[in-house]
Amino acid sequence: MNLDFSQIVPYIPFMLEGIWATLEFVIVSILIGLVLGTLLALCKITKAPLLKGLADVYTSIFRGTPLILQLMIIYFAVPQLTGYDIPAFLSAILAFGLNSAAYVSEIIRAGIMAVDKGQTEAAEALGVPYRPMMFNIILPQAIKNILPALMNEFITLTKESAIVSTIGYLDLMRRAQIVGADIYRNFEPLLVAGAIYWIMIFVLTKVGQAVERRMRQSD
Amino acid sequence: MIKAKDITKVFGKNTVLKNISTTINQGEVVTVIGPSGSGKSTFLRCLNLLEEPTSGEIFIQDRKINDKKANKLEIRKNIGMVFQHFHLFPHMTVLENVIYAPQKVKNQSKTEAEKIAKDLLAKVGLTDKEDAYPNRLSGGQKQRVAIARALAMEPEIMLFDEPTSALDPEMVKEVLDVMKDLVNTGMTMVIVTHEMNFAKEVADKVLFLDDGVLLEEADPKQFFEKPQTDRARDFLDKVL
Ligand SMILES: Nc1ncnc2c1ncn2[C@@H]1O[C@H](COP(=O)(O)OP(=O)(O)O)[C@@H](O)[C@H]1O
Ligand SMILES: [Mg+2]
Repeated sequence: MNLDFSQIVPYIPFMLEGIWATLEFVIVSILIGLVLGTLLALCKITKAPLLKGLADVYTSIFRGTPLILQLMIIYFAVPQLTGYDIPAFLSAILAFGLNSAAYVSEIIRAGIMAVDKGQTEAAEALGVPYRPMMFNIILPQAIKNILPALMNEFITLTKESAIVSTIGYLDLMRRAQIVGADIYRNFEPLLVAGAIYWIMIFVLTKVGQAVERRMRQSD
Repeated sequence: MIKAKDITKVFGKNTVLKNISTTINQGEVVTVIGPSGSGKSTFLRCLNLLEEPTSGEIFIQDRKINDKKANKLEIRKNIGMVFQHFHLFPHMTVLENVIYAPQKVKNQSKTEAEKIAKDLLAKVGLTDKEDAYPNRLSGGQKQRVAIARALAMEPEIMLFDEPTSALDPEMVKEVLDVMKDLVNTGMTMVIVTHEMNFAKEVADKVLFLDDGVLLEEADPKQFFEKPQTDRARDFLDKVL
């Protein structure tokens, strides 16, 4: 056994900054995923075949190809096609946000379908138009059912976020690699990064459970 | 007030309503009875277009409502509906349930909507439950909130689809009492019910549906004492 953590001590602040670098784009990606995913879910349940078709194709593409490929395409194809030198951060939130939207839309669609049909009828019978019915009556109930699945999606996204290291974004993972190259020891920085990821996921899980518990109180 | 002309409703290969015609006048209370599956709910749901009749015409105050050009939301504003299973909004308090539609649909201010809602909740005897969530209420209380919610839109017509069928027996009366109060206000009401005594007591007219056919349309006294068809006689023998 040949472990030596003393050498990475000076690098600890550098690595800790990676937490924020990771969280920053994970949070933005989650928000993009939520908003776009909700819109896609609404398209999927409309009777308009064009909207529904487009939303289904979108989902199929983003779920049917590797996330790392989507990230690479955005990072490398955008400059090649448009001449715009897209920053790593922007590429990252686009790839993760668009990808997450596909998964979130499926989760929300299922959640909406699971809301009692009587709720729609009660709202319709009161003369409530489609949009307020969706946003005030159906979605709030759907969100409650799908919270566990959404939490799962956020956790997956946080873990998968490590692949942005491949386009040079200075996230936690990338920093661990840099430190490893600097001190010629890879194992220790990777262990530290692993521990930090584990703690982040642990906290996220606990937060999710707390939110769920609060929501269940109105049942 | 309500006029149905030859309403037919087909689900797939199943003809659920067969050429139903009837007229319901302003202030009239009509009870709809018949065996389960005879099309009572479907008939009621056609009146506020929760179901679209396959053919036939429905007029409300001389306006044809099952028309491509007719505005469904506009029509429904004027027709309240109470469901067997209440369908209260579970994420809203009792008061929020009642003020939601008047605010959203009729653009009432919150103060105005609350004033009307509180009045209605007092009338159905639920003032102390204003801030409760529906899951804290008994079935009878839920149904009374549902009635208040429908009335808050100040409709001219109220539809009831077996409002007491999902209730424990001891709660049936409190809901029927609220409905009787409503009858006394002169509200036009169409009530699908299995409560025969109630139907006899409040109805101006009874509609008897069997297998999608309007078999009898009669004065309650006459209907319950001397039904004209064998089907109605059999049905009454079973339920009375
Ligand atoms: N949305 C629907 N799709 C297909 N069949 C339906 C639908 N709603 C009702 N039915 C059928 O129509 C018939 C009458 O139903 P309903 O109006 O609910 O009867 P009732 O209220 O008298 O019990 C039943 O056979 C029922 O299965
Ligand atoms: Mg029924």
